[in-house]
Amino acid sequence: MSDSTNKTPDGNWTPRIVAFFCNWCTYTAADLAGVSRMKYASNIRVIRLMCSGRVDPQFVVDAFAKGADGVLIGGCHPNDCHYVEGNYKCLRRYQMLKRMIADMGIEPDRLRLEWISAAEGEKVRRVVNEMVETVKQLGPLGIPAKFEQWDKEMNALAEHVAASQGAGAPGSSGQNKPQTAQTAHV
Amino acid sequence: MNIMETRKNEPVRIGFYVCHCGVNIAHMVDVEAVAKYVATLPNVVVSRNYKYMCSDPGQEMIQKDIREQRLNRVVVAACSPLLHEHTFRGATEAGGLNPFYFQMVNIREHNSWVHTDRLEATRKAMALARAAIQRVPHHKPLEVKKVPINPDVLIVGGGIAGIHAAITMANAGKKVYLVEKEPSIGGHMAMFDKTFPTLDCAMCVLSPKMATVGSHPNITLWTYSEVVKVDGYVGNFKVTVRRKPRYIIEDLCTGCQECVANCVYKEPKFPDAFNLGLGKRKPVYMPFAQAIPSIAIIDPEVCLNFKRGKNPDGSYTVSDKCKKLCVVACGDRKAIDFSQKAEDKEITVGTIIMATGFKTFDPRRTPYYGYGVYPNVYTALELERVINASGPTEGHLVMRNGKEPKRVAIVHCVGSRDENTNRWCSRVCCLYSLKLAHLILEHTDAEVYNFYIDMRTPGKSMEEFYNRVAEEGMHLVRGRVADVYPDPNDTASGRLIVQAEDTLTNRILKIPVDMVVLSVGLEPRPEAEDLRRLFNLSCSSEGWFLERHPKLAPVSTFTDGIFLAGCCQGPKDIPDSVAQAGAAAAEAFSLIDKGYVEQEPNTAFVLAEECSGCKSCIPLCPYTAISFNEETKKAFINEALCKGCGTCVAACPSGSIVQNLFEDQEIFSEIDGVLAPLPQ
Amino acid sequence: MAGVAEAAVVDRTTTLQTLLNTPAGKRMITCIQCGTCAGTCPYGDYMEFSPRLVINMLRRGFIDEVIKSDSLLRCVACYACTAKCPRNIRLTDVLLPLVKEQVLMNNTQMPAEFQKSLENMHRYGNPMGESPRKRTAWTATAGVKVPLIAEVKREVDVLWFVECYTSFYARGQDNSRATAKLFAALGVDFAILGNDEKCAGECGQMTWESGLFESLAEYNMKLFGKYKFRRIVTGDAHAFNAFRFRYPMYGLTQPVEHTTQFFARHLEQLKPKLKKPLNMVVTYHDPCCLGRAVGCYEDPRALLQAIPGVKLVEMVHNRVNAVCCGGGGGGMWLDTYYKQKGMDRLSERRVKEAIATGADVLAVACPYEVSRFEDALKVVPHDKPMVVRDVVELLAESIG
Ligand SMILES: Cc1cc2nc3c(=O)[nH]c(=O)nc-3n(C[C@H](O)[C@H](O)[C@H](O)COP(=O)(O)OP(=O)(O)OC[C@H]3O[C@@H](n4cnc5c(N)ncnc54)[C@H](O)[C@@H]3O)c2cc1C
Ligand code: SF4
Ligand code: SF4
Ligand code: FES
Repeated sequence: MSDSTNKTPDGNWTPRIVAFFCNWCTYTAADLAGVSRMKYASNIRVIRLMCSGRVDPQFVVDAFAKGADGVLIGGCHPNDCHYVEGNYKCLRRYQMLKRMIADMGIEPDRLRLEWISAAEGEKVRRVVNEMVETVKQLGPLGIPAKFEQWDKEMNALAEHVAASQGAGAPGSSGQNKPQTAQTAHV
Repeated sequence: MNIMETRKNEPVRIGFYVCHCGVNIAHMVDVEAVAKYVATLPNVVVSRNYKYMCSDPGQEMIQKDIREQRLNRVVVAACSPLLHEHTFRGATEAGGLNPFYFQMVNIREHNSWVHTDRLEATRKAMALARAAIQRVPHHKPLEVKKVPINPDVLIVGGGIAGIHAAITMANAGKKVYLVEKEPSIGGHMAMFDKTFPTLDCAMCVLSPKMATVGSHPNITLWTYSEVVKVDGYVGNFKVTVRRKPRYIIEDLCTGCQECVANCVYKEPKFPDAFNLGLGKRKPVYMPFAQAIPSIAIIDPEVCLNFKRGKNPDGSYTVSDKCKKLCVVACGDRKAIDFSQKAEDKEITVGTIIMATGFKTFDPRRTPYYGYGVYPNVYTALELERVINASGPTEGHLVMRNGKEPKRVAIVHCVGSRDENTNRWCSRVCCLYSLKLAHLILEHTDAEVYNFYIDMRTPGKSMEEFYNRVAEEGMHLVRGRVADVYPDPNDTASGRLIVQAEDTLTNRILKIPVDMVVLSVGLEPRPEAEDLRRLFNLSCSSEGWFLERHPKLAPVSTFTDGIFLAGCCQGPKDIPDSVAQAGAAAAEAFSLIDKGYVEQEPNTAFVLAEECSGCKSCIPLCPYTAISFNEETKKAFINEALCKGCGTCVAACPSGSIVQNLFEDQEIFSEIDGVLAPLPQ
Repeated sequence: MAGVAEAAVVDRTTTLQTLLNTPAGKRMITCIQCGTCAGTCPYGDYMEFSPRLVINMLRRGFIDEVIKSDSLLRCVACYACTAKCPRNIRLTDVLLPLVKEQVLMNNTQMPAEFQKSLENMHRYGNPMGESPRKRTAWTATAGVKVPLIAEVKREVDVLWFVECYTSFYARGQDNSRATAKLFAALGVDFAILGNDEKCAGECGQMTWESGLFESLAEYNMKLFGKYKFRRIVTGDAHAFNAFRFRYPMYGLTQPVEHTTQFFARHLEQLKPKLKKPLNMVVTYHDPCCLGRAVGCYEDPRALLQAIPGVKLVEMVHNRVNAVCCGGGGGGMWLDTYYKQKGMDRLSERRVKEAIATGADVLAVACPYEVSRFEDALKVVPHDKPMVVRDVVELLAESIG
């Protein structure tokens, strides 16, 4: 997959933002923004989940890995989660993710968590616009291209290690690949 | 419904449909280009665009394609799934497929309505469509769970809306719990003298309904009570109601009021809340003459038999210092119980109707009207009491100084249409101001001024009402009052100057008046936010409970099984409150009569063979649906308890929990789909 | 401070023609013609075109008729209309000055007194036509050292913008000496601009004498650019207003505080020093540029109440409802003109309310008010003596 896909037909780069919105508050708020005909940047692609607690850190990492320039998570305000406290779980994962992506060389500002209630259509508009602005400032992330580069480096390193230590040394086996989920449905 | 399996290894055959929604979508999204693009994607067998997918021909098109093209997956790109997912799942099922082989793409609310660049909007629609196309191959056939519904209903708030809903449900044989915070039902309407537009006496129409509530065999009326806890879901809400102590045993009190007559306080001394402090009552009192239930209540704040001041837990300590003449008067009835404690009742109901009403605006927030500073400035609600035959002055319109006003100014829009206070129009104030003007003219010889910004009289018979009242002879001044202050030339009489621009003559008026009446707006009750949390509702930014859809689901909420009636949803008059109460009752019925609620099959389950037994998921579940099988050392999810939030799924380190409808692979495919390259 | 965000509602190049396209102008389109502005305006009775009507004339394209009348010379920039407008329309500091400027340009007979002051501001940097070299003369009698920023040669915490009335007028200097004393007592790191300082130009701005205001603002901004300071503090409510709303359009980024706000923020340190009881009944007049313009009603009152022996009483019109002293928006120099037109003096209206409270002291927080109310007290009969004192003067008196 190449980064050129982020370009508009006239050739300018424009960010792509993947959003995970909880069904009860933020997704509904985005519907409300629509019903109220508020206008906001079209860079956002919303994926609906039942609760922000369903946001697996892997979803976020995977989105970056597949070429997202930013990831937005939207859930209900504290105390308002339809499932009591999924949003708190999400908050903890988010804090961890922030550090993690920073370690991976991804600017933490590319990830944002917002509590947006079903009545806050205006907040959806504001947050999306702000997020797009922030990511525009940061420029393209281009992880897929970086992955190719990293894979090369890793392979070189592995070869180097193997060559210098002989067989049996701990190498960079499968674990470093971005994990895809195993769906084993019975 | 039986599960219609697709045969194993049968190739995936997707039908894709993109809706124009008239022009709602098509004006911003090039639907033909989207259909063309999707046709090029793997597994897509048909790709069409159509004017109205939700219409009968649209749905039939899907069914026909399923049969003729042997489709086994359906994707529709149209409005929000919250609106029409149900419709299209139905069409998919009618075509002979399991409804969960369907997926919806939101390109209206999330796209055509919010974007302005047609090219970009079209590309976004393509990306979202692609996500769904990549997702559906992973869909599994699922079965909707049916959970029986408890036929009992809880109604919160006993104003006219709650009363009407309660009687409607009870007459149809449903068991109703009506919970009212105050010692009597009746709400605001019980305070009025007459009501617009008919000018019929409020109590004449209300009190028979109140009495019906009090005596109806199907209604359990709990006044002086509040809901403190709500658990569970539509069909099965577990609700805890706290009954505050009134120090009178309800079953034993006959409403004779001999306790009141014999109280050691010979004269009423304490401000009477029902009369907004304009009248006085004793420590033991009847909330008002027509109160339902007709049961006395003791105020421990002032009753001599209690120690002064609340305990930290909100209770009061008996001092036993009083001669308790009330107890003597009650005699063998033995209805007075100073040791009464708050009592929690637990009930299970299937549906809930919220009818908690409104509060009036506190005009101290517009200090330039002098409320709370000058005694002759009244709120409209206070005037309702003063003018009411059963009010503190027995219907004689006299001011706090005992005099009858010769001139009265009624100030419209106090705390309405104002960016500094409340932005909305409260809808009833113009009309009740006209009503009050009429009542003042009826009771006195006073000259009446109505200062208004715009005279808003929409609704059946309302403009006619305006004409009728205007003809009675009053000054109607188009200008918002800017200042109210004591007449500098007559400081002794308490006379006030009302200053405003008469915008139609371009003159500044300074009218000396004896009485100023502030037509205060309607606003959400201060505890609406707590109630919202308690019942898991949404509020509009102003604080009114939010209806599910302003036009198509005006009494439903975002929480299934909870409905709205009356002013808790927004300002409205009595006819509309009653109409809404009827609508809420009908919605509750249609649920109850169906007998069951369908549950989205989005529950999670553990893949036992992959579970490592780490137990990380167990504390995460807010419904304690996950248990640990000590024998197999595996986690197990009780599907009946799982509500489908997916929190455990996201947390399982070995990836061995699966959420139906939101499987990892489904979501990864969506991520991949929205980010995939698009044609230039 | 909200200055920058507030200033964003228009920019300095806005004209009557472009106004309706600015954020502030868009609000004007929402005016519901309720007349609250006209009804609350202290001179509303004397305006052929009330603020409400001005808005509608502008919206309908009839503004030329408004400009031909002198209605808006009667606006004293008191912010009453703006504060009560249910649509939050920026009349006082956005719409009306633009109209006033046109009125002045079209009016062949500009009131002489007014003309003279504007000229003085232009020539001498102060409206009274005093020599700029005498600006710092008062510091000799300050009793404490008043450092000049040019001499301290380092960043100071507080740049104290003294302003004209407080530099040249005897009663204004009382205010300055009191402020200096309080600064010293609190150990504030402050300095003044000295003789280089020129009028902040608020009255020019409020009449939108844009040429004059522009030159003063640019001059002062250049001067500010030479030095380093963390905030501006001024005892002149009008200068405060200009720094808060207009100067950010010229690049001012430092926060600005009125002396009462500054001292209220340091009240805990100040309190133990307020030892001397003053034993007087005080009523407080809210200056428009501090009260309604920014909603600062309680800081000055908190200061007064911290003084031992002070009993605070309120006038009928207080806080958002206070009656203007009549000195704003050029009113300071239009008294003769107003009299010619048969208009009553607002300072007299106000002083009558003060007298009715039975107070000994009419406390103020703006230097214009001292002279206006002292003059008014000379003509309004009253039995019990009443004096006019700035809040800072009372504070300084109490620290002994
Ligand atoms: C001054 C005035 C005059 C008016 N005149 C007229 C008129 O002439 N004609 C007309 O058609 N309309 C009139 N209206 C409007 C009318 O008052 C409303 O339409 C009507 O009262 C709405 O009824 P409701 O049941 O929704 O709310 P309410 O009357 O407010 O009743 C709500 C009830 O819920 C209870 N409650 C609140 N919170 C809780 C809780 N947490 N738990 C339990 N109970 C709770 C309250 O105690 C109250 O009893 C007037 C309004 C005002 C302010
Ligand atoms: S107060 Fe505001 S809304 Fe009312 S007429 Fe004046 S400008 Fe318009
Ligand atoms: S600022 Fe004051 S004087 Fe000027 S128009 Fe508004 S209310 Fe009148
Ligand atoms: S349901 Fe919205 S965050 Fe849990």
